[in-house]
Amino acid sequence: MISVYYFGAISLILIGLYAVLVKKNVLKMLIGLSIMETGVNLLLVSVGYISGRSAPILSEGIGPNQAVDPIPQALVLTAIVIGVATTAMALSVAMIIYERYGTLNVEEIRRLRG
Amino acid sequence: MNGQYASLLIALPLISAFFVPLIKGAGKKAVKYYLVLITALQTGIAAWVFQQVYTSGKPIIVMAGAWRPPVGINLYIGHFAALFVFIVALVSFLMAVFSVRAIQVEPIDKYAMLFLLLMLGATGMIATGDIFNLFVFMEITAISAYALTAYNKTGEAAEASLKYIVLGGIGSSFFLIGIALIYGSLGTLNMAQIAQLAGGMNATVAQVGLALIVFGLAVEAELFPLNAWAPDAYQAAPHPITAMFSAFVVKAGIYAMARLLYLMQAVGSWHSVLKLLVVLATLTVIVAELAALRQKNVKRMIAYSSIAQIGLIALAFALGTQSGVDAAVFHMVNHAIVKGMLFLAVGYVAMSLGGAELENFRGLGKRMPLMAFGISVGAVATVGIPLFNIFWSKIRIILATLDVGYTWAAVLVLTASVVEAVYYFRLLHVIWFQGEGTKTDENIAIGLMVLFLATLVIVIGIYPDYAWNIAQKAGADIFNVADYIKNVPLMGVGA
Repeated sequence: MISVYYFGAISLILIGLYAVLVKKNVLKMLIGLSIMETGVNLLLVSVGYISGRSAPILSEGIGPNQAVDPIPQALVLTAIVIGVATTAMALSVAMIIYERYGTLNVEEIRRLRG
Repeated sequence: MNGQYASLLIALPLISAFFVPLIKGAGKKAVKYYLVLITALQTGIAAWVFQQVYTSGKPIIVMAGAWRPPVGINLYIGHFAALFVFIVALVSFLMAVFSVRAIQVEPIDKYAMLFLLLMLGATGMIATGDIFNLFVFMEITAISAYALTAYNKTGEAAEASLKYIVLGGIGSSFFLIGIALIYGSLGTLNMAQIAQLAGGMNATVAQVGLALIVFGLAVEAELFPLNAWAPDAYQAAPHPITAMFSAFVVKAGIYAMARLLYLMQAVGSWHSVLKLLVVLATLTVIVAELAALRQKNVKRMIAYSSIAQIGLIALAFALGTQSGVDAAVFHMVNHAIVKGMLFLAVGYVAMSLGGAELENFRGLGKRMPLMAFGISVGAVATVGIPLFNIFWSKIRIILATLDVGYTWAAVLVLTASVVEAVYYFRLLHVIWFQGEGTKTDENIAIGLMVLFLATLVIVIGIYPDYAWNIAQKAGADIFNVADYIKNVPLMGVGA
């Protein structure tokens, strides 16, 4: 049976992908992109989960053998920051687009064609 | 000198990017010359690394924090990385000089910062030996590229940037899923250890992981279904940035793809991923050449031509043979020189005449002979006429394709070259045989850069042996994975 974490993560990725591909509003597309990134992050941490173990912080009573895999957590920390930076960049571009075109509908944002 | 100094290739642009706001206090001119100075320094370091690697024949392994791989992150500056880090630095230097004239819009300090970060990201992508570090450097490159595409603040620039962000966001998510699959299956992120363990990987997981990574990198590398952002971004970005996109940002993406593909040669389902890439690459060449045929904007036309050349490189990488990889590396070098020159000359013309529409290029041969000469050499070289550098690499790619037995791919790619000749010669006709005009002043520095690059094109065209030797060594660096594993001093973990 597929673990509920893997199932949830893949569903989030697919929901995000669906929103990016189908929605016409730029902001909704960006929300989709964000959901997709969240799904990927969830997938990454669930890869490192070892059933029954605790957070990988060395302290009284918790040694290296009772902790989950710490590497995916470092990866996710990096990936979250990157995701936020991308979203911030995309939102500022969306602002410029709204100023210049007066719309956020992707079907009307079509000045570049060749 | 100690090889660990090669880490300056990453450290120098990063530190200098942070100093830009301080330099801004000394005036706007100062920022531009600071950019020139830093890129010149970077070129010096890259030249030293290049000379070290090629004289000793041994790669430089930089270990972060003296932790031995696979525990720490390592940089692997082998023959390929040394060559391309040098090209990245050199092109950046030329474009920094060009930026002094070409960038008049504010804010210049942010431009300089993003410029340095773009160079840093591309250098890191080429030099790194760790798959997640590759992702981080790819995102540094991508985010600075998004911001630089939108730099002109026109509606078109924002539109191009938005397309790039959405596609790039999906691509990087796919790439990260691929990393998660590989890490979940092998338990390591170090490229050398991945190569060592790849043989025992579950064939289905490997196939899905590799395919996701190829798709994720295809956005950066401009392969067919995912390259819709590229012509828009090339048209709307500032002129020096367009040249940098074409000369090395794309190359970094395609190199990362090739490196990861060849690391996993031992995987059972490897050949099916290669077949996917052959199809994508051939489609890229054909679609881009046909699209270039009906362009009215010269910058956009050359952008499509650039995508088509990348398709050729991807095709050669997808063959899975030594000769194909060598030819691909040779084509990468040649294409970086030629497209750097073309975008430099076209960018200068568009800057002085206010736009890159084909109308503006009428009678350019009489008005700006030096730029017209540069564009002509670039155009003739791209088509692949003998005695110019791309002829040699193109013919090697075709021969390597025929060797493997993909006759259909070779035929389609050659047909596309005929289409390419049509639109380039139409451009040359407009430049030399139409319109009238009197000679105008050309900037001496930019004229000299164009002449320098044109000389390189012709010298490599007449004496290809020296450059071909370098390309062969760099190709062996990618293809010969056993040597790659041997060169990285892996700690005895899991092996």
